[in-house]
Amino acid sequence: MTDAKQELITLPQILSIPQRFATGPIMGRFLRELRDNKRIMANVCPKCGRFQLPAREVCAICRVPVTDFVEVGPEGVIQSFDLVYYASPDPLTGKARKAPYTTTNVLLDGVKGEDTLWHLLNETDPKKIKRGMRVRAVFNEVRTGSMHDIKYFEII
Amino acid sequence: MEEQNKDRWVVDGQLALPYQYFAGTVGSHFLTSLRDRKKILGQRCPTCNKVFVPPRQTCERCFANLADAWVELSDVGEVTGVTVINYQEKYLPLPPPYALALIKLGGADTPLTHVVAGVDPANVKVGMKVKAVFADERKGSLLDIKYFTPA
Repeated sequence: MTDAKQELITLPQILSIPQRFATGPIMGRFLRELRDNKRIMANVCPKCGRFQLPAREVCAICRVPVTDFVEVGPEGVIQSFDLVYYASPDPLTGKARKAPYTTTNVLLDGVKGEDTLWHLLNETDPKKIKRGMRVRAVFNEVRTGSMHDIKYFEII
Repeated sequence: MEEQNKDRWVVDGQLALPYQYFAGTVGSHFLTSLRDRKKILGQRCPTCNKVFVPPRQTCERCFANLADAWVELSDVGEVTGVTVINYQEKYLPLPPPYALALIKLGGADTPLTHVVAGVDPANVKVGMKVKAVFADERKGSLLDIKYFTPA
């Protein structure tokens, strides 16, 4: 009964909720360019000239619609990086991600302003990563119109 | 506008949340008993003399500790309430339609909720006598009772 040697039962469950995300015209264009042309397209605020990555409907500073696109990258420099040791669940499968992995904010070539693109970096040794290092986007062979069409960034 | 419209599309996604349900010391004893001995256990409150199932740590009437107040219940009981499930969800135990019933087991004062199968769901009525059918492969969950079927 309530003795110390009692077997305790846990039931592992994965609660799985299907969901849909409407891209809208701006995010849709950004994702289509990744998928069809392997191009990273920032959009440019008509008022302040800031580049936004990923492209968004409205300038976060001026709050005006942003419809003009400019190709940037695929190379850039590391602005910051994080090594992630916690094997967090992948929201698409519920399975634990392989840890450690590295995320980085990359300031892509051609960007006016400070907006960086957040993505994975294929290097998990912190001694080999420095701020300011040049990196390049590596695209997947099979692309579906998602942020994962970029596989990761690699150090050049 | 034409140019923009071709870039509006819908991305399918999934939100998966892994978690673990912990049955606790009391719930674990109930589940291991189902799994290893095919016995459904209730708990008799020493003060109220009521027999509760499914298991709980504390009597809901007088807050007496029920952790060691186990009694064996019959695997035959009577339907005291029933509903028919007509919709499909991945997490449900069976494809619809099926009957989900409140079943007051012999020796218990409270009903246990479970599936009644082996009969047209529309014909499951209050007062019907039903008997537990245990799963061949039992894993320590409430589905170690496969379903109840007319006795």
